[in-house]
This record gives sequence, structure tokens and C-alpha cells, in this order.
Amino acid sequence: MGPSYSGNAAAPGSSSPLPDPVASPLPQVLLDGLFAGGTYALMAAGMALILGVVKVINLSHGAFFTLGAYVAYALAERGVESPIAAAPIAAVIAFAFGVFFGKSFVNPVRRHPFALPVGTLAIALLFEQAAQMVWGPHPLSIEAGAPWIGPGGLVIRRWGVIAFLSSAALLGGLKWVLSARPGLPLHLIAEDEEIAGSLGMDVEAIRYLTFGGACAMAAAAGALLSPSGAVTPTMGRAPLLLSLVVVIVAGMDSVAAIFLLSIGLGIFGNACAWLLSPQWSYVALLAAVCLLLSARPAGIVVLAGRRD
Amino acid sequence: MTVIPRSLPRLPRLLIGPAVLLLYLFPSVFPAPPCVAASPPAPLKIGVLAPLSGPYAAGGTSFVQAATLAVEQANAEGGVFGQRVTIVVGDTQGRVDVAKAEALRLVSREKVSALVGAYLSEETVGVMEVAAAHRTVLLVPVAATAEITDLVRREYARYRYVFRVGYSLPQWAEMVAAFLSNRKVRRYAFVGAGIRWNLELGETLERIVAPLGIAPVYSAYYSPGNPAFETVAVAAAAASPDIVILADPGRNSVSFLKRLRESAPALPALSIGGALGDARLASSVPLSAPVYVQAAAWRGVSPAATAYVERYEQRYGAPPVGYSDTLPYDAVTVLVAAWRKAGSAESAAVVSALERGAFSGVAGTYRFDAAHQANWGAGPGALHGTFVLWERGGARIVFPPP
Repeated sequence: MGPSYSGNAAAPGSSSPLPDPVASPLPQVLLDGLFAGGTYALMAAGMALILGVVKVINLSHGAFFTLGAYVAYALAERGVESPIAAAPIAAVIAFAFGVFFGKSFVNPVRRHPFALPVGTLAIALLFEQAAQMVWGPHPLSIEAGAPWIGPGGLVIRRWGVIAFLSSAALLGGLKWVLSARPGLPLHLIAEDEEIAGSLGMDVEAIRYLTFGGACAMAAAAGALLSPSGAVTPTMGRAPLLLSLVVVIVAGMDSVAAIFLLSIGLGIFGNACAWLLSPQWSYVALLAAVCLLLSARPAGIVVLAGRRD
Repeated sequence: MTVIPRSLPRLPRLLIGPAVLLLYLFPSVFPAPPCVAASPPAPLKIGVLAPLSGPYAAGGTSFVQAATLAVEQANAEGGVFGQRVTIVVGDTQGRVDVAKAEALRLVSREKVSALVGAYLSEETVGVMEVAAAHRTVLLVPVAATAEITDLVRREYARYRYVFRVGYSLPQWAEMVAAFLSNRKVRRYAFVGAGIRWNLELGETLERIVAPLGIAPVYSAYYSPGNPAFETVAVAAAAASPDIVILADPGRNSVSFLKRLRESAPALPALSIGGALGDARLASSVPLSAPVYVQAAAWRGVSPAATAYVERYEQRYGAPPVGYSDTLPYDAVTVLVAAWRKAGSAESAAVVSALERGAFSGVAGTYRFDAAHQANWGAGPGALHGTFVLWERGGARIVFPPP
């Protein structure tokens, strides 16, 4: 809950009752870029899992992000105002839908390269329309809480810290799972499905469970980030695009590269907005992505020669 | 079609838990069926053009809700010439080509007697062509570009059927300037989405406030795709303005205001885009400094405005935002009054009635000038609009004084 305004606050132009914490704009802009990168990485974690293991471009990933945000809103309306409490509930709901969707739609049609992107896009649009019918087209909002003030007056945004730490934890966990024994089936399926099948693994089940897990990660991200902006039926579109860009540019082989690239793009985008103009931020970001892809179509990890 | 019988019986069990959770969280997932009222033969039809899908669906939905409410009010008063009034809605999707096609459908196939809309300036300029070609009265509630009334002034014979109920950009800027002057603002930051009306409004406001000794110290127009809110908020705060003017009609206004409050909790903000007139949104924003909202009308401005807000709230469960709902309501109200005054729904008679008459609405009394622009502004006799200040328990009117 933010501090209340009594109606007798200072008029514009007079001395302010609260100190403004912005002391040095450039460090603040760079710190905010770090947080923005954390939000890209949070979405990219699930996207990387789907691309790496299920090997499909899931254009409905943003819809699960939106679902998570609406779950957080619905809980906040009922007095549960913590997005951290909403995240697991959103993840459970999204996991069930993801498994259902993965089993009934993704698995049967995944061998048809054009059918799946169109199908997942249709699911995303269907979800947007359904969300509009259920919750209405009007933006909804959850209180974000006051930020923390760091050294030198730096504003440390709560949602930014959550995004950064959650994405680091999720991607770190994913890296561990893929490299440790429990992740061996995922790793094997990602490498060669036929060999995995010949070893007696239920490849189909692992695929739809992975799909469900990735959807759960997107929903948890949506719930965690819901207080940072407005909750609307189409709010998942922008994170979907950026996470897809991050995963494709980083390459799906390296979890660390996904995290670092997300952070790099976040800082780069904010620096461009500061140095050039806010309208140039997105243009510069996508131009940088095009340059990276043209230099290394398979992803930057291959360029660096590193493997997880 | 491929059927996988083995897998299907297991799925419902998997979904039972989440489904129960969903029903608890979102009971409105099964809304009550809409009531369908029986209508007598040959009602008078109003074609309403608004975006019900796409990025402007929120504003478009409010638009249609308010128009519906105005028609219900007209019918409760006995209709027009003993006939009921109905609306036929065309979804413009926020696209010029769709808006024109829908306008054509409403005029030629639905045989509407008049049009109300559209939403965006670009759409409305396109719809003007259809209205002019079919000699159909068009009332413009929210599109603000000066081009609309400029066309009427320049080519009166062709566009005489077009009347703007809402404010033009210069009028809008004049009202904002009066508010800034009243609040003793000297330096302001102007921030919004990089869309046409924002850019025009920013330039017009700068020109109008200059003689008052007021000047912008920072302007930024962010991309709706990737708004870079944090950077804009930090830069706006660093420029040390007395107030930040937020000219964004959509959901981004909420996100930006949250970032601004984080960066500069004591910096006042004025929203002139409409979205922050929604009490549900305003309640989620920290009120550590004033949050002002500009609206066409507000509860308490007049008995008519209060009655309208109460009816709207009762009907739709939330109060209107005072812009994208209030102005369409008044547009339909003015149209119905003009029909009654003209004694006919025939376009020439209605144009004559609109040009000569004065029409009561929620925001005040509407009169149209030679360019068919309603009389908004800061001067005497004008429709002033209103500025409210959000407080913990609701909003309070601060300018003009009630």
C-alpha cells in the first residue's frame, strides 16, 4: 500500500513534502536496464525449455504470462496481495492447461512445422478474447508497493529485484536440471528423440510435461510482474516477442547466455532510450538483434564456442 | 481428424483442481445471459462506430456502453416521435479501412438515421467521407484532431453533416492551460505515447501556455510497443518540473505513473488521456503526491452529471472515466434532442436544428460554431470540462471550482 495523500499536500511549484530520490540519472537508467533484462530472462526461461526440448515455437507463451497476471489480480481482489503467493497458484493452473494443450494439440501436430506456430497463435488470440469476455477490456492494476532507496539515492524497484532474482533462480535451476542426473531425459530428448525412445523413455509424456512446466514458468512470471504495470488481455504480447528474440539470439544450448543476453539487451535498450530518445529504444534493440543474427544465425553461443 | 481415445478420459481429472480454482477466482466466467428487450417495428437507428477489438477495445467498450445508456434514457423518456431508438454497433478495430467499411454497412444496409463515432482521429476522418457521400449526420464524440472541423469549415457543402461534440486539440490545450495557470505551474513535463493526437496536443499546449509564462522542461513520446517507462520517468523527474502531464489514453498510463511514483514520489501528475479516471486503477497508484485527472464531466459537477454517473455505475458496476464514455453519452443525447427539435430524422432538418439550437448534456449546454465544433474552452459560456484530484476515498473536483 502506498502512502496516502491527505488532500492537503503541497501544491505544484511549492516545496515537496517528500524528497525525490533520483540523484544521478545515468546509474539509475543502467540499474533499471538490469531489471528490464531480468523481466526478459524470466519469460525466456520457459521459452528456452520449450524450444530446446519440445522443439516448437510456442506463440501462446505470452497468454500463460497473462493468465498468471490475472490470477494475481483475482487473488489481490480477495485480499491476497502478494504476487509471490500468487505465483505458485498461477503455475499450477498453467501447468494443467499446458499439459492438456501439449498432449491434445502440440504433440499430435508438432511434426507439421507451419501448423504449430499458427495453432499456438490461434490459442493465444483465443485466450485474449476469452480474457476480454471474462475480465473486460479495461486495464486492471495491482499495487506495486514502495521501492527501496539504495546508495546515492538509487531507486531499487521491487518488481525489478523480483524479476532479476527469479530469472536468475529459474535459469540457474534449469541449468542444474539439464546438467544433473534428473535432467538426463530432457537432455537426451533435446539431443536425439529416437535414441531416447529406444532407451524406453516415454518421449511423448516428457514432452507434454515439459510444455506444461514451461507454461507454469510463464504464468509464475506473469504473477510476479503483475504489480509493475497494468493487467490487460494483450499484456503478454511484448514479453513473448522479446523472450523469443532472446532465446533465438542466445541459442538454446546455453542457459547462461540467455540470462546474460537478456540483461545486456535490457541495459542496451534503456541506454538508447536515455541517450537517443524513448522511441529509439525499441528500434535500436531490434536493430542490434538483427546484427547479431546476421553475424551468427545459429546464436551467439556457437560464436563463442561455449556449451553448457 | 485424428482421435486419441486412450488419452482423453484422463484429462478432465487433471483439470478438475485448476477448474475449481478458476471458478473461485473468476466467478464471472459464466456471466448471466444478456437481456433482450422486445422492440416495436421500425425503430430509429443510430450507428455507433467504436473499436471493440484490438488495442483500443477498452475505450471502445466504454464508448458503446455509454451510447447504450443514452439510448435507454431516451426510450425511458418516450423515444422520438413515438418510436423507440436503437443502436447498431460497428467494430472499427482501431483501423481506418475497417471503420469506413463499417460506416458504409451501417448506412447502406442497416439504414441508420445517423452515425456516432469513430474513436481515433484517423478513423473519424475516414468515416467523414462516408457520412458526406450518403448525407448522413455524423456526431464525433472523442476524436480531437483539428482536421475534422477544418474540413467542415473549408468544404461546408460537403461536410455539413459532421458535428463534433467532443473537444478539439486547441480547446483541450486551452482547458489544460487554464488548470496549469490556476495551480501556479511554471514548468511542466509532457509525456505520452508517440501517437498523432499526443504529438499535436504537446505542440499546441506549448504554444498556448507560452504567453502565461509556462513552459515545458521535458517532453518525451514513447513507443507503445516498448515504452521504456523507467528511463522516461527518471528523465522527467530529473528535469524538476512542477507537474508531469501524462497524455496516454491506454493502459500504459498506469504503468508509467507507477514508475514515476517510484522515481519521484513527490512529483504531481496530471492525466489527460482518460484511463486514470477509472477508480479501480487510481486506487492502485500511490497517492504520495497529487494525481489529477482531466474529464469532460464528473460526479457532482451538476445534477445531470451525478445522475449519469449513478446510472452508469448501477448498470456497469463501475463509474465512468469521464471521457471515452461521457462524451459518447452526450453525443447520443444531443442527437436525440436534435431529432426532437427538428421534428424529423431527415439529415437536412437535423443539421439545421444542430446549427441553431442549444442542447443539454452531462457536461453542460452544447452549442456549435460555424465549423460545427462544440463550445469547449476556458472562456465564459464555454463547456469547461473538469479536473479532479484522486484522494484515498475517491476523487474531489478541484478545477473549475464546483
